[in-house]
Amino acid sequence: MEINTERMEGVLVAKAWARIDGANARDFEKAMKGAIGKSDGAVVIDFEDLSYISSAGLRALLVIAKNLQNRDAAFAICALADPVRAVFEISGFDKIIAIHSTTAEALAAVGGSA
Amino acid sequence: MSEKLVLRVEPQLTALEKIDAAAEGFGRAANWPEALAFQIRLVLEEAVINVVKHGYGDGERAGCRQEIEISISSEAGNLTIEISDGGRAFNPLEDGPEPDLDAALEDRPVGGLGLHLMRTLMDTMRYRRSDGRNHLTLVKRTDG
Repeated sequence: MEINTERMEGVLVAKAWARIDGANARDFEKAMKGAIGKSDGAVVIDFEDLSYISSAGLRALLVIAKNLQNRDAAFAICALADPVRAVFEISGFDKIIAIHSTTAEALAAVGGSA
Repeated sequence: MSEKLVLRVEPQLTALEKIDAAAEGFGRAANWPEALAFQIRLVLEEAVINVVKHGYGDGERAGCRQEIEISISSEAGNLTIEISDGGRAFNPLEDGPEPDLDAALEDRPVGGLGLHLMRTLMDTMRYRRSDGRNHLTLVKRTDG
């Protein structure tokens, strides 16, 4: 499994794929951990193309968010489809992970240098 | 008008894809709104993952050939999901406390959200153990 990543304005931006479920959440977690470099101080995950997430996906995101918080790195996600956003809200994840409408907003929030 | 989908799958995570595709197709044929289709697919995954992990696990039931039977039926404003399996007795309704949704990031435990999602998205959840099988019934009202 792969994720597409690029560095924009000094921020690691990862784009996730169609679905993060019980079958691939561990792969997602591993791919993100592999993509985040030691010197990355800010990470944004763009979920524009994510159409489905389950509790297994939330679990992986929580692990990633905790890891980043432990090293004082900024973290935000963006561009959630309505049903995906609903899962975050039901789980209270909108209170612990910064959610933005667009990549530009997320970049600005985590301190992108543009 | 009533409609029903019945599936029998091996108790393995690899069955999730088949279940999801079948539920998606059933929902499309029944003209479910997008949000409802998403919720039902999500609840199915959470319920089946519970069964595979807790009912079969990696222990003595590994390799057990008893299938999980899943049915989805829609009738009179109620959408009913029934899941039965031959794994060890496991009542998902008693699987741990409700998560603290207001806890800070550092205090949120990893995991424990599947049951919370099922409880929130479905109106009724019932569990019974009979004939050596677990039976979980989940009902969602769809007539508003």
